[in-house]
Amino acid sequence: MKNIIIGQYIPGLSFLYKMDPRSKLIALMLLMVSTFILQNVFHILVMLSLVLIMLKIGGIEIGRIARGLRPIMILLIFTFTFQILFVKTGSLLYELQLDFSVYNILIAVGLFIVFLFTRKFMRFRLLYFLVIAAAIMTLFSLYSPGLYLGTRNIQIHTDGVSGAFFIMIRLIIIVTLSTVLTLTTKPTDLTLGLEQLLKPLSIIRISSEEIALIISISLRYIPTLLDEANKIMLAQASRGVDFNEGKLKDKVMQIISLLVPMFIISFKRSDELANAMEARNFVPGERRTRLHVLLWSRIDTIVIIVSALFVAGSIWVVVVW
Amino acid sequence: MAIKFERVNFEYISADGSSFKALKDINLEISDKGEFITLIGETGSGKSTLVQHMNALVKPSSGEVTVYGIKIYNDIKKKDRNVKLNPLRQKVGLVFQFPEYQLFEETVLKDIIFGPKNFGVKEAEAIERAKEIIKLVGLDESYLKRSPFNLSGGEKKRVSIAGILAMEPDILVLDEPTSGLDPKGRDALLELFTSIHNELDKTVIIITHDMNTVYKYASRVLVMSEGELVFDGDPLKLFTKKNLIDWNLDLPEIIQITRQLEDKLNIKINKLPRNVDELFNIVKGVL
Repeated sequence: MKNIIIGQYIPGLSFLYKMDPRSKLIALMLLMVSTFILQNVFHILVMLSLVLIMLKIGGIEIGRIARGLRPIMILLIFTFTFQILFVKTGSLLYELQLDFSVYNILIAVGLFIVFLFTRKFMRFRLLYFLVIAAAIMTLFSLYSPGLYLGTRNIQIHTDGVSGAFFIMIRLIIIVTLSTVLTLTTKPTDLTLGLEQLLKPLSIIRISSEEIALIISISLRYIPTLLDEANKIMLAQASRGVDFNEGKLKDKVMQIISLLVPMFIISFKRSDELANAMEARNFVPGERRTRLHVLLWSRIDTIVIIVSALFVAGSIWVVVVW
Repeated sequence: MAIKFERVNFEYISADGSSFKALKDINLEISDKGEFITLIGETGSGKSTLVQHMNALVKPSSGEVTVYGIKIYNDIKKKDRNVKLNPLRQKVGLVFQFPEYQLFEETVLKDIIFGPKNFGVKEAEAIERAKEIIKLVGLDESYLKRSPFNLSGGEKKRVSIAGILAMEPDILVLDEPTSGLDPKGRDALLELFTSIHNELDKTVIIITHDMNTVYKYASRVLVMSEGELVFDGDPLKLFTKKNLIDWNLDLPEIIQITRQLEDKLNIKINKLPRNVDELFNIVKGVL
């Protein structure tokens, strides 16, 4: 639970902190648009290096961003392997012939089971998994005694490789940019900025204030509810619910024993919150003033102009080349 | 000794890497026979964290807690993969402060038998236990069929205590069991804990903010202050100490009255009274 850093503000002093949340949101949108405009792996690499320079100037540790990338690691690996294996255009780079037979399938299954049981003891599970996968691959290509079942070819093409890197870098850029936004902006500022940006929607009768309120309340309650969940787990653990050591068939009961109190407490909390808001005379949609008013400064204009130029530049690159 | 703390430290680590020391160098021994212990201290002094160590819900950051012969230390799960901590929670029953965190079944009966069933008690036997225990905590059998969520705060509290009692623990630990109860209900519950302590010769540990409870019931009192265990011993000794104010504690009413009487009547009372009758006899003797 601790490595989710989306929505976790870390105080700092760089230009990213001095910016208005509105300009940050607009710049984020512009930069995201240009990631989708760029179609070439080299262009996107240039963009990645620009993003890294921005991180450097903005004084954000790469480590923090890397921790934010961890939850989408599996997604990255999947898209990468699928791209590499299934794109069949471009020139052929490498071909591996896999011969399947009864024995080597049995050995592969055995290796996989060994992996399942031994992975707990390994420090670098991902590396271990890759080693096992490579071992299974070599097994299929080199050793095939017994009843012969069939042959499959693994082909790696240039377009597959460039496409795989392209998609991976695009995902990394998107996640990095949004992580930068949430790392450098307080959730309250962010919702305030969002509220003002969504103001025009009032023409089609969507109240941006209500949307902003909903977002800020849900953001506010994520840590509280995590805390509550932890307390419930302790309370149930002291009644013999075994969240670590239990058998699979008990798991359903364990989850119910966690979920029911969770629901009850959340409902109670929202009820209390509604009462507290009413006690302070909160009326939805009423015009209200702010203690902290957003200020648009020169740096915001500069950043917006730079981002817009960036979009224009990417369009130019795509059209001309 | 059933529970033994040796140089136990515990730190809460927050997301930005800073840490908060909840327990500092705790050394403590608790027997499972016949102790009635109260644990006091201001809010945030580490009382709840301390009791959560007693049934291995949390593991010390450094140091060791030994519970019924099982040594619990920081990376126990890595060093000893076969260790089972779950059975310890049957031996040391811990009742949390807020019943909302534990009640979840459709009926009170199901909720009470949930604990015992987790520890392998047969359903029929668990139901028998529930029927006895619901009366012990001051409710009657008709409550067993009701939903735990339609009960009042005090009733919920009793059901949550019944849920732990039904596990028949050797040591009963209660985190503020009497908060939110009316005076009559509070006294009834404290009498129940006393009778569990007296008749079954079990150890009872109660976290409380009420000095009267400490003075009236406890045979031993532990005082926590800013993560440290600053006092361990006889309540009577505690209330003659000077640093009560530093620990944000006050005197039990009966001692306050005695002190005032000494002041106003200009007399000296050598043996502090435990209850109103004793005070009455002392005053009568003096006059």
